[in-house]
Amino acid sequence: MEENDQAKTTATKGTDAARKVRAMVKNIYKSCHDAQAEGKKVAYIMVSSQYDEILRAMDIVPLPTENYAGLCAAKRDMDRFLTKAEEDGYSQVLCSYARIGLGFDSMRKDLGCMPENAPDGGMPLPDIILGSSGVCDPRFKWFQACGRFMTAPTYSIDVMHPAVHCDLNAVRDHYVRYQKEQFEGLIAFLEKQTGKPLNKERLWETIRLGDEAWRLWYESDLLRMSKPCVMPSQDHFSVMVPAYYYSGTQEAVDFFQDLVNEVKYKIENKLAVVKDEKYRILYGGGLPPWHTMWFFNYFESFGAVFVIENQYRGFDPVEVPGHVKDPVEFLAWRTFLRYTKRHEQARANSGNPVVERILDLIKDYDIDGVFFHACRSCRATTIGQIHTKNTLGRYTDLPMTQFVSDMVDLRDYSEAQWKAQIEAFLEALAARKRPL
Amino acid sequence: MTSITQMEDLYTQRGKRARELHAAGQKVVGYFCCFVPDEIIAAFDMIPYRIQGCMSEPIDRADAHIEPMACPFARSCFNMAIKGDYSFLDGFVVPHSCDTIERMYHIWRENTPAAFNHFLNVPHMMGPSSDAFYRKELEFFIKALEDWSGKTFDPAKLKDAIKLYNQRRARLRELYALRKPDPPLVSGAEITQLLVAGMGMPADEHIELIDGLIGEIMRRPQPKGPKQPRIFIWGNEIDDTAFIKLVEESGASVVMDDLCTGSRFFWDDVPETADPLDGIVSRYLHIHCPRSYKPAAETREDDLENRFGYIGEFVKTWHADGVIFYIIRYCDTCELEGPDLREYLNVKGLPVLMIEDDYSTSTIGQLRTRVQAFLEMIV
Ligand code: SF4
Ligand code: SF4
Repeated sequence: MEENDQAKTTATKGTDAARKVRAMVKNIYKSCHDAQAEGKKVAYIMVSSQYDEILRAMDIVPLPTENYAGLCAAKRDMDRFLTKAEEDGYSQVLCSYARIGLGFDSMRKDLGCMPENAPDGGMPLPDIILGSSGVCDPRFKWFQACGRFMTAPTYSIDVMHPAVHCDLNAVRDHYVRYQKEQFEGLIAFLEKQTGKPLNKERLWETIRLGDEAWRLWYESDLLRMSKPCVMPSQDHFSVMVPAYYYSGTQEAVDFFQDLVNEVKYKIENKLAVVKDEKYRILYGGGLPPWHTMWFFNYFESFGAVFVIENQYRGFDPVEVPGHVKDPVEFLAWRTFLRYTKRHEQARANSGNPVVERILDLIKDYDIDGVFFHACRSCRATTIGQIHTKNTLGRYTDLPMTQFVSDMVDLRDYSEAQWKAQIEAFLEALAARKRPL
Repeated sequence: MTSITQMEDLYTQRGKRARELHAAGQKVVGYFCCFVPDEIIAAFDMIPYRIQGCMSEPIDRADAHIEPMACPFARSCFNMAIKGDYSFLDGFVVPHSCDTIERMYHIWRENTPAAFNHFLNVPHMMGPSSDAFYRKELEFFIKALEDWSGKTFDPAKLKDAIKLYNQRRARLRELYALRKPDPPLVSGAEITQLLVAGMGMPADEHIELIDGLIGEIMRRPQPKGPKQPRIFIWGNEIDDTAFIKLVEESGASVVMDDLCTGSRFFWDDVPETADPLDGIVSRYLHIHCPRSYKPAAETREDDLENRFGYIGEFVKTWHADGVIFYIIRYCDTCELEGPDLREYLNVKGLPVLMIEDDYSTSTIGQLRTRVQAFLEMIV
């Protein structure tokens, strides 16, 4: 980790597709400003809330506040927002995405205008705020707290799934029904806000686009099994932007078609990420350290490549039964099937769907070691990593490591500690590979 | 033994009564948080046991299984479980109250499984469709209890349990009413002891204990003294008297609370409806907990009133002069709720001290100066 590396936050990417994402990120915020100028509604949204296609079908422009927090970290411009939120009474251990978002909102309110030099032009005041309970608790509590800084109409939905031990046949209808009702409540709210009814044909169209983009994304991931690695994890953490934040648009489909073509081309021409690929690492879980993404390149300098990841990965494709003729019901089914994809497999084996997925990845991608990132302020993606590691240890003897920092808050990061830990992990990888 | 000494005994020897009952062949069902209805467990002639942690013991074993950035209350409970302190639990039931507790279910179940393990999903949203969902989850829970116990669920027994638990709630409210006079007739520390003691015993026995305690309080000389600030406490899990004592020893009276281990878990009755599950659903899903989302109102004022109006009533009726938030670190829902509630209370003219702590008696002393400074400000 050289002196000049320390000032830099991003990683060198492997694909042209990933390099195009930066412009797409900028466009997210630009399109929000443009949309408001055209009289369209802009909504604060949470990633993976399963409602993306509904918003697209209703011409509501999504403004992903979590992504904005990650962007601030990647630009190393997060401290002023974190500090503001903490001054307003938000704990230093609260989700740092939420702290950046609330700090930003608070500052924008105090100033009566956009904070100076806000990354990518800043987040405009939303017309609507849409939370959910999918993935974590702050997803609806954070947006509830936004009421302190703005008066936008706010709505949240539940995104629920059964525990792994449930008999899926017994609970399926119960979960699908509830999810459908939650979506219907959201649609009624949005119809009121926009003054326009949802056009179900358009919803089918955005679902088709959403599914197609994700199918191509999945295809690109399957291609990544090929050795040596041509698309590393830092690229994945870029391409998740079109996947999640452009869901339901033609742009996303085109992006992933290009990605598939590029990955194929690179495989055919053996355009590897590193010349001498020694170790293939799985990014096993945890939000990426947006403040220090170059650590991927640091690993690569030792011939260690992150080849696949179990974070911000799309849900594997699911098959909604043909009898489902209503698009809202389709979304409810899709949510249920996505969240229970590995339940049966887990019940028959480790009892843990995350472990099952990781075991599949280890096998399919010929993995040499597993890396986890514990974020001090993100409970949802952190708690359970040690347990997952412990359970994995019953099925594999691969070296596994857990690094600790935060997704955006640099105060939780120690470069010296990471360096020492990287060295130790590389030694463990080498020891395992060394012929006896 | 007086009721006070019995209460102290049950408070210090946590789970003593539940352990005895387990040894005598009764099934004890442990659960987390406020969303598992005691009445359903009692309707199967089992003993509901609200799982508690131990603030005075270091968390020394849990780190091998769960990250340190998880709620220390939950980690402490699990730490006790892996040390064998919860081996008397025949059943283990976890509601989806928060991210940590949801993960805890899986980690606990895989490391220290009970004979019966069950996850009860609880919507975060509120509204008719959430009621229907939660009701169905309760039906699954009942079915699982039937399968495990070999008994058939009897709605009449559930109705009886509802009556009994409502009696307990009424007695607890009576006890809380003794906190209204100035100075209050009962201390905050005594209240905590009584509530913690009751978490592992059958409701009828707890009712007897509360009655005994109320009698003894009425017979003892009424407290006198200079006017002290009257404090309302808001937060999550306080199952130890250390913090309340610190506030009271600093020259204040803790007169009312909104805590998971306090009024939040018992205050509202279960309506006695023709179908007893209707009453259970309407009561339990509407518990005032930061993990539940009240649909947003149109204006900020209405939204705060909607969410915190009941607290407004509490502080008025119990004549609170100031409010202390005791938030267990890493509890995202409380951390996000705190500043909004502070705004609501400040508008009412009530000063607020926000404390975030580690669920450990060893760090509580460090809070003394802050508490004292706050109390001086009120006087
Ligand atoms: S009321 Fe308290 S114990 Fe119950 S779910 Fe909420 S935080 Fe947990
Ligand atoms: S205190 Fe908060 S984090 Fe801990 S169990 Fe209760 S709700 Fe969950």
